[in-house]
Amino acid sequence: MQLYPLKLVTIVGETVIMQDIAKEAVGLGATGYTLSEVIGEGSRSARNVIVTGSSKTMKLELVVPMSIAEKILTHVSHHYFEHYAIIAWLSDVQVVRGQAYRID
Amino acid sequence: MIAPSFAMLCAHVPGIVAVLNAEQFGRVLESLERNLLTPIPLCFVLGLICTRIHGGIRIPKELYLSIAIFLLMSIGFIGGHELAHEYHEHGVSTIWKPALATLFLGCLTPITSYLVLHYGGRLSIADSAGIAAHYGSTSAVTYAVANSFVEQTQHPANSFLPTLVTILECPGIAIALLIGAALTARERAAKGAASGRPVRQSKLGEALYEVMTGQSIMLMAGLLLIGFISTLFMDDKGFAPFYEFFASKGMLFKGVLCIFLLEMGLVAGERLGDLLKVGPFLIAFGILMPLFNGFLGAYFGYLAGLNLGGCTVLAAIVASASYIAAPPAVRLTLPEANPTLSITAALAITFPFNIAFGIPLYFEMAKWLGAT
Repeated sequence: MQLYPLKLVTIVGETVIMQDIAKEAVGLGATGYTLSEVIGEGSRSARNVIVTGSSKTMKLELVVPMSIAEKILTHVSHHYFEHYAIIAWLSDVQVVRGQAYRID
Repeated sequence: MIAPSFAMLCAHVPGIVAVLNAEQFGRVLESLERNLLTPIPLCFVLGLICTRIHGGIRIPKELYLSIAIFLLMSIGFIGGHELAHEYHEHGVSTIWKPALATLFLGCLTPITSYLVLHYGGRLSIADSAGIAAHYGSTSAVTYAVANSFVEQTQHPANSFLPTLVTILECPGIAIALLIGAALTARERAAKGAASGRPVRQSKLGEALYEVMTGQSIMLMAGLLLIGFISTLFMDDKGFAPFYEFFASKGMLFKGVLCIFLLEMGLVAGERLGDLLKVGPFLIAFGILMPLFNGFLGAYFGYLAGLNLGGCTVLAAIVASASYIAAPPAVRLTLPEANPTLSITAALAITFPFNIAFGIPLYFEMAKWLGAT
């Protein structure tokens, strides 16, 4: 079985901005994303903002090539890091059916 | 007509405290007792205590959300039904003045709140506008509790009060966010130019759209319209099952309101620790601003011809602060604002104050003004 080396971008932040970030990531070239409700606590109290019918914190996961991962992380750090409760990290992953992603 | 009357009232403000004699003070205490020792505020207190002692009460999120949906639908549907009767009997003659007074109050309270917070409390523009957005809007649960209180005192509010709740929901948030967005735009642009980073576009339009199409407005205004239309066009026999479900002689409504208040107590209990972070100014603001807004609500309600129950409920909704619709809108539009300040003030100070003390005080204010 062939595995394709790609990057997993994980962003955890307050619910109120996560849908927007997901859409913006798609605009930057991501082919899809997974958004899930999670529970957690951070140093900023901003995660306490309740969004009706949803949890206070969400996790966004995107499997993308390195060039797009860089674009997404730069965009998020410029637009959201200063004022919102948010954390982002990058990890290496091996993906089955990796040809579905735009590999560099 | 309203402006000269208000000027006359302002001239009498210094005398207000002086005329509170022992008998009136006793009446206020009696009203407080009549409100406090009833299941709805007591369930809230139970929730508060439970959180503080790490008790075992857990209300499932789905139940809480289902109850919120039922309460909003019920308020809207019954309100629409009563509005149809009112319209059938009097046309718009009894409604337009209270509606106009409510709209005026919805526009006034965010501006006064902003001025007090920014100039009196020396809070930043974003924090002041963020908190003002919470206090300019309203809390449907406070409406439901105030309505229960006036029914209990045998002074039911005018039938069209739910219409006033929907009128009050949006303008306050919109005005405060507009003030905040306009005044912070220049700061943001200067900061962006200094750092060389692109300036993030304001999400004011998106935030306002979210508020207008949020659950509270859609359910309450939607069901108000449905209740109104179906009352006018359905025969009584066909309409009865719907009415009985939503009104349920008040039993289902008051029962689920207890569960809702229990959950509110649990949530507010979590925020009590934050009271130390917000400081004495905001604690005082969270109590005095509702009293001021509540007095304005009772006064303008009285001028607009509302009855005693109606003045009390209008005062309570004007005095209340939004903690569901406002926080996400403020986060989107004014990310610089610290949400701990606004949510703690609205949820841990003003909401409990109104539920325990505010509503009976507004009742006495309305009585004092001469509402019957």
